Amino acid sequence: MEPYYEELEDEGSLELPSEPMKLNMGPSHPAMHGTIRMVLDLDGETVMDVDIQPGYLHRGFEKSCERGTWSQVFPYADRLNYVSPMLNNVGFALAVEKLVGLEVPERCTYYRTVLGELARICDHLTCNGATAMELGAFTPFLWLVKVRDWIWDILEQETGARLTHSFGRIGGMAKPPTDQLEETVLAIFPEIDHAMMETEALLMKNRIFLDRTQGVGNLSPERAIAMGCTGPVLRSTGVDYDVRKANPYMFYDRFDFDIPVGHDGDNYDRFVCRFEELRQSMKIIRQALEQMPKSGPVNSPDIRYVYPEKEDVYNSIEGTIAHFKLVMEGLKPPPGEVYSFTEGGNGELGFFIVSDGSGTPYRVRCRPPCWYNLAACKEMLVGDMIADIIPTFGSINMIGGECDR
Amino acid sequence: MPTFKLDGQEIPFEEGDTIIRAAYRAGVEIPHYCWHPGLSIAANCRMCLVEIRSGRQMALPVLKWDEKKKEYVEATKPKLQPACQVPAGEDMEVYAASEVALKAQESTQEFLLLNHPVDCPICDQAGECKLQDYWLTSQKKLKRKKTEPVHKPKGVRFGPTIVYDAERCIMCTRCIRFCDEVVGDHVLDMRERGNTNEIVLSPGRELDHDYTLMTEHVCPVGALTSRDFRFKARVWFLKSSPGVCNGCATGCNTWVDHDPRYQRVYRLRPRDNEEVNGYWMCDDGMMTYHGFHEDRILTGRVRAGGRVNEAPRELAVQAAAKVLEKVEKGKLAVVLSAQHASEDNYVLHKLAREHFGTDHVYLTAKPDWKADDILRHRDQNPNRAGALAVAGGKAKSMEDLVKDVESGVVTAVISLGAATTLNEAELAPLANLEGVGGAAHVNLTSNAGALASAASVVVPVASHAEMSGTFINAQGIAQQFKKAVRAPGGIKTAWETLIEIGAHLGWTVDIARLNDVRKDMPAKLPSATGASSAPAAPAS
Repeated sequence: MEPYYEELEDEGSLELPSEPMKLNMGPSHPAMHGTIRMVLDLDGETVMDVDIQPGYLHRGFEKSCERGTWSQVFPYADRLNYVSPMLNNVGFALAVEKLVGLEVPERCTYYRTVLGELARICDHLTCNGATAMELGAFTPFLWLVKVRDWIWDILEQETGARLTHSFGRIGGMAKPPTDQLEETVLAIFPEIDHAMMETEALLMKNRIFLDRTQGVGNLSPERAIAMGCTGPVLRSTGVDYDVRKANPYMFYDRFDFDIPVGHDGDNYDRFVCRFEELRQSMKIIRQALEQMPKSGPVNSPDIRYVYPEKEDVYNSIEGTIAHFKLVMEGLKPPPGEVYSFTEGGNGELGFFIVSDGSGTPYRVRCRPPCWYNLAACKEMLVGDMIADIIPTFGSINMIGGECDR
Repeated sequence: MPTFKLDGQEIPFEEGDTIIRAAYRAGVEIPHYCWHPGLSIAANCRMCLVEIRSGRQMALPVLKWDEKKKEYVEATKPKLQPACQVPAGEDMEVYAASEVALKAQESTQEFLLLNHPVDCPICDQAGECKLQDYWLTSQKKLKRKKTEPVHKPKGVRFGPTIVYDAERCIMCTRCIRFCDEVVGDHVLDMRERGNTNEIVLSPGRELDHDYTLMTEHVCPVGALTSRDFRFKARVWFLKSSPGVCNGCATGCNTWVDHDPRYQRVYRLRPRDNEEVNGYWMCDDGMMTYHGFHEDRILTGRVRAGGRVNEAPRELAVQAAAKVLEKVEKGKLAVVLSAQHASEDNYVLHKLAREHFGTDHVYLTAKPDWKADDILRHRDQNPNRAGALAVAGGKAKSMEDLVKDVESGVVTAVISLGAATTLNEAELAPLANLEGVGGAAHVNLTSNAGALASAASVVVPVASHAEMSGTFINAQGIAQQFKKAVRAPGGIKTAWETLIEIGAHLGWTVDIARLNDVRKDMPAKLPSATGASSAPAAPAS
């Protein structure tokens, strides 16, 4: 009698006639960030093919922008990459200012840098914390999120809201920096360092963590470039492209900072890249706070685009008319189009805006960095096992708001 | 055609045109306040100053601030000319956007706003105010003056229709010139000089001629406001549909300004048409929009047992069909309306002719009113020509109808519209009409009126702001008006309602949409703007 089962030479191959199993990792899944649907073709536990279906968080932002004024885009911009909203706000403001040719005071640029880098820190804390948690390490998540909460307290002190601040304005910021900005920000840095140190102590030599992240979700630099990846996903493969160094905007050419670069393009490299970027962000913030003028206006004086002071609005006809035109008709950039790109939390965040000369945008197109990273995720996942999907998908930091808009 | 250059663009002009008029014809706007295509030239606002580089240019000695030397130095600037006054010449080189011209516009705008009150939040003109628009394009800066603005009378009652605010006034004299030139009534004039300038009424007079609302229309700022429209709606919420006034047979072209959120018409404005009304409308015409929402009949009325009961529209339609079912063919009187669109009249006449085989056609209309030789026509009805054309050129009067009812020549009436020259007492025979098996006067109307009160079944139909249609004016020009608001409560147009009633009676007709009606209308009943001998073009 023949044995009931046959000895298989290769664990992965089947001799019995069979088909790959289709498994749906549906849009709501407790182990995944965000709403994304993945239809997996499985051979046992191995992923043969994955059909990634984004779009479950599509809210029609770009179309909605065409139904308001230019300044009404800011709440939409916040809700793109909602773990680093300040970076989106600043990105859009820079795009419109580029189209208009509007100069903002230096103090504004430094302020935007400080708040933007704080947002980037929040983004990386969240991503790494969540990745660790999904692998079973619940504690570092709580430590990192605790620190993130303290950073959100600073943002609340500055902007009035923890997350969706809508603080950017075309030609400046909604309010000038508070007096406590420098003090509170510098006070938080030792806490960030401490939390990161503790997290790294727990994770970086942990057998389970290393087994689950090293060699998993590999991406080669050639494929990364071909798929249009940017940000930590690209830099972890070894390509040192960072918009802040390659095409410096704001005052990034005045700061001294490094670009951390990985070499394998696996989950581990992405994790470490983010932590190192976080440290570089802290370095940038320190320099920005030093260089920032301690007084002076934060908004451009051009009242065609920036609200005049309330004193002028209430007491002079010109102020009233300026306010009226800005509110009722919206600011009017000259007709034309511009593509402006900055380094968002996930990579090159671009805004392609088209103006027809009226107060309503003709088209606002956001280049979401995690859309292209998500496309590359497919290549990272094929060949790995179901359990690897979780950390890999977590490490590319796909934020549904930015990906689907 | 001779041309001149404006900022590098070739602009054709006719002999005698000024620069600004030629540019206006070409669709290019040179900033201006006091110029108006329908009025004489005043050249007092100085906003349209342009640089003319061709020909002999005058250079004026001025002092210029030299930034490097930190003092004033002697320089020259070209003498600018008002584009509203200078006749265009072949090969002229005009610059309305050169550095000097833009600086002049900026300065003029600054002077105009120097003493202007901070009234935007309460001013009706906000959203369609030239001061606001030109501030954004020309001045772009805050006020340099720190002293108290000059104060003048505000909220001055000029007449039953117009309120004047002297602080907002920029003294462009458009209102004075309009009253002088178009109306021929010198009731407004300017008083005092310089800073203390003010528009005043002639002693002992008030602004009471028939075109007072046009002074509000020409006023580029919120100095003259209409008491009727004051504070009613903000203009940026209003959408405009092209319409035709239904006040008289002139058929002035209008813009029907309505708020789509509330489906309500808030005002009319004149629409320029050189052939018909030029740039103007009379006060009564401007006020016809009240009829779109006031005194409306919005539900059916059915008279039964001596009482008039309100009924939903569908029941009224069925009741109308029941009444008309029992009518002896050939004994039906059909009353066309000079107040209704040609399409409504045509379908009614078609139903009467084809289904009832009747040739008793009458015309109801509003009585004649006071005319003048400016715009008002003696005939108070917008579409007498259209209704008569539908009837084949002749229709009997309402007095004839009463006689025919009394003598039994007709035993039932179907009428359109409620307006008539007769009063209720004179219409009593129609009200008491007992056809075969009951009362027999069916009336389709949008507004209340004597003819509706004399009907046994009243079916509500859309007013002319709620439908697209055609009026033929006294000159014989057929003009289309477009639907502005939706009729409330599922009310349909008269021609749609007649087809519905006809369906109940077994009348089949191959008409479903407005285009079908217009295609069906014969060539001598044009539905497109043009001479009445032109073939009926399919409506857009």
